[in-house]
Amino acid sequence: MAFLARALRQSNSRLSSCPSVAASCRWISRTAAAGSPEAGAAVAPADPELPPPREPVGGARVELPPNPEDALEVFVDGHAVRIPKGFTVLQACEVAGVDIPRFCYHSRLSIAGNCRMCLVEVEKSPKPVASCAMPALPGMKIKTNTPVAKKAREGVMEFLLMNHPLDCPICDQGGECDLQDQSMAFGADRGRFTEMKRSVVDKNLGPLVKTVMTRCIQCTRCVRFATEVAGVQDLGMLGRGSGEEIGTYVEKLMTSELSGNVIDICPVGALTSKPFAFKARNWELKGTETIDVTDAVGSNIRVDSRGPEVMRIVPRLNEDINEEWISDKTRFCYDGLKRQRLNDPMIRGPDGRFKAVTWRDALAVVAEVLHQVKPEEITGVAGKLSDAESMMALKDFVNRMGSDKVLCEGNGPNPPADLRSNYLMNTSIAGLEKADVFLLVGTQPRVEAAMVNARIRKTVKATQAKVGYIGPPADFNYDHEHLGTGPQTLVEITEGRHPFCSVLQSAKNPVIIAGAGLFEREDQDALFSMIETVAKRFNVTRPDWNGLNVLLLHAAQAAALDLGLVANPAESIKSAKFLYLMGADDISLDKLPDDAFVVYQGHHGDKAVYRANVILPSSAFSEKEGTYENTEGCTQWTIPAVPTVGDARDDWKIIRALSEVAGALLPYDSLSAVRDRISTVAPNLVHVDEREPSTISVEVKPPVKQKVSSTPFKTVVENFYMTDAITRASKIMAQCSATLLKK
Amino acid sequence: MAWRASLSRSVKEIRVLFCQSSPASAPAREFVKKNYGDIKARNPSLPFLVRECSGVQPQLWARYDMGVERCVNLDGLTEAQIDKKLEELAMAGESLKTK
Repeated sequence: MAFLARALRQSNSRLSSCPSVAASCRWISRTAAAGSPEAGAAVAPADPELPPPREPVGGARVELPPNPEDALEVFVDGHAVRIPKGFTVLQACEVAGVDIPRFCYHSRLSIAGNCRMCLVEVEKSPKPVASCAMPALPGMKIKTNTPVAKKAREGVMEFLLMNHPLDCPICDQGGECDLQDQSMAFGADRGRFTEMKRSVVDKNLGPLVKTVMTRCIQCTRCVRFATEVAGVQDLGMLGRGSGEEIGTYVEKLMTSELSGNVIDICPVGALTSKPFAFKARNWELKGTETIDVTDAVGSNIRVDSRGPEVMRIVPRLNEDINEEWISDKTRFCYDGLKRQRLNDPMIRGPDGRFKAVTWRDALAVVAEVLHQVKPEEITGVAGKLSDAESMMALKDFVNRMGSDKVLCEGNGPNPPADLRSNYLMNTSIAGLEKADVFLLVGTQPRVEAAMVNARIRKTVKATQAKVGYIGPPADFNYDHEHLGTGPQTLVEITEGRHPFCSVLQSAKNPVIIAGAGLFEREDQDALFSMIETVAKRFNVTRPDWNGLNVLLLHAAQAAALDLGLVANPAESIKSAKFLYLMGADDISLDKLPDDAFVVYQGHHGDKAVYRANVILPSSAFSEKEGTYENTEGCTQWTIPAVPTVGDARDDWKIIRALSEVAGALLPYDSLSAVRDRISTVAPNLVHVDEREPSTISVEVKPPVKQKVSSTPFKTVVENFYMTDAITRASKIMAQCSATLLKK
Repeated sequence: MAWRASLSRSVKEIRVLFCQSSPASAPAREFVKKNYGDIKARNPSLPFLVRECSGVQPQLWARYDMGVERCVNLDGLTEAQIDKKLEELAMAGESLKTK
């Protein structure tokens, strides 16, 4: 009975998108009621005439419309519930707190109804009803716990298991398999099938998704996901009857940036993670909810670890940011966290070789060099993966040493850091779904932010929104109009001479998305001024709608701009005699003087360590508490999932220790003290999981005298799979680069 | 207004913090809307960071050389008084520099 209770709890957890404590408690109490008559009597309601209200299933999404005529009442197992019109029977049961088993239904995909597992009994209906495909009607009486419904589900389960291989002990889906859970809860206790089971040839989808198609139950979730969310027509159903197969028709790899999500939505073990194959069972893993840092979206993830090792990364539900998907880079770069790691402080000796030293010696050497250079010759550079606490410490330290030259990678020569609306996605990621026209300026969201691209694609599919794109030719997985490659097109739109102007004019909620790659241009001020002119001309910004957006590239970018890391990189590096690189691997050091002293603080031995004189090891995002702000301005915290490698330390602690040795002591020595300090610079960075909108519009800015250059926009992300130190250290990402990148 | 042209020589960074909607921050919001363009035109390279956050008391921060910072609470001040406070912070920067 304990095993059954755990199986039911897992089943409930598996069936719901978002497990909740209330749902788990309900399952436990139901089991207790079944086991003990006294407990059953206690659980029974005191007044049978008025049953208590039921809690919706965890993750059930319902918003009652304000107009009473748009709602209706149905009865589920005798309990009355109010739901909006258009809801299906399954959704009504979820609101009523009843879990309906399903294989093919997924709340974010279209309805297929082909698994028949969600059969329920409806009064006045002669046959059981597939609840996911049946609209709920007013006054409908639904019965989910009757002998007819149970027999129907048992029969469906028997048919599904007919050709299913008995290889549960070697299946990677073990412990989190919908088929396992539902056969325990709803199936028969013995099989009657004595004939030969069917075998299906495995397909090759690439280096990420492993296929064992014999286990496939043809629910078509992966087909619908690939078509509707990922936007690639790679998968389909072939054959009919007992010869049905899911595959790619011809030998073809699945070339979507979101292909790893089919592993999550597959209810059986047909599609599993190839890098994770045979590595661990899910009950051995410790899950830690944290934030992704491979791009500026800040997807919510769960890091599954076993001891000191990260075993895999899976998505976590966040309706506003990533819904329940993550990109393949986020999901599969975890082996980069185990390779090329720096674990000891190192000093380069006279012979050019690095020698491991103690922290005390390393910090003493750095402090000694700091006092030999002039204050204005000190430069600090934060990298793409830096958290807000580290950047705050770096800025404070360099400022106290007398220098203003603190900057962040990718923010360009003259970052627009004064007003927050200049560098954030002001519409918000979820708000993009309300748009009806998109103008993409110098940005390719498919490779810069795959989750934002999925949101745009969702809007294009749902409302036929128009997309105009200015930049090098690119493929976005949805229809878009390529307007031009450079600022000249923007000039035409500003002056009203371009045909796309009529589309923008007739739009109700237009959206302009500028790429952060534009920050690197010398004419960035003039370019953004022109974009703001377009926004004013076509009513993109108004009190009830702000459609002017910047799509940032890196996890550190928004927080760096909030904190004011605004130095010019070219000038700062040219004059630097002491250069402090905090995870900054992609900044150009060509102009760095030969006699400059370089300190590299980071977690991976990547490009910049080859120029460093001192190496200080630090923690990766999976090993520390840090604050990150995403491209829409939502502040989120990372939680440590695994211990730090070797003798590495948190970034801000290293700088704090260095400030003590150098004699410019920083006043904080705890994480809460750093965050208090951050609240005096950018208080929005301490409002976790919240977006702080900006009311100061761009109209307060002075006019720009700069002229726009005619240089075309360029591609910012050449290789989607290799964008930072972690992904470059990942073997899985190297395989993806070799096999999936289009030549 | 002559002190505004030399603001970037005496101050390294200006930060204005206020709430988006509270009445206590209304003068600070109006001050930024009316004066940001002029200050920025005279000091194009001076960071003038405007940070809005709900529930925050209106504050004006100035950072000088060697990381020294001063803060003025703008609660209860009018726009003219805020302008005066900014000038005082600039003058304080001048005196710090001569030291």
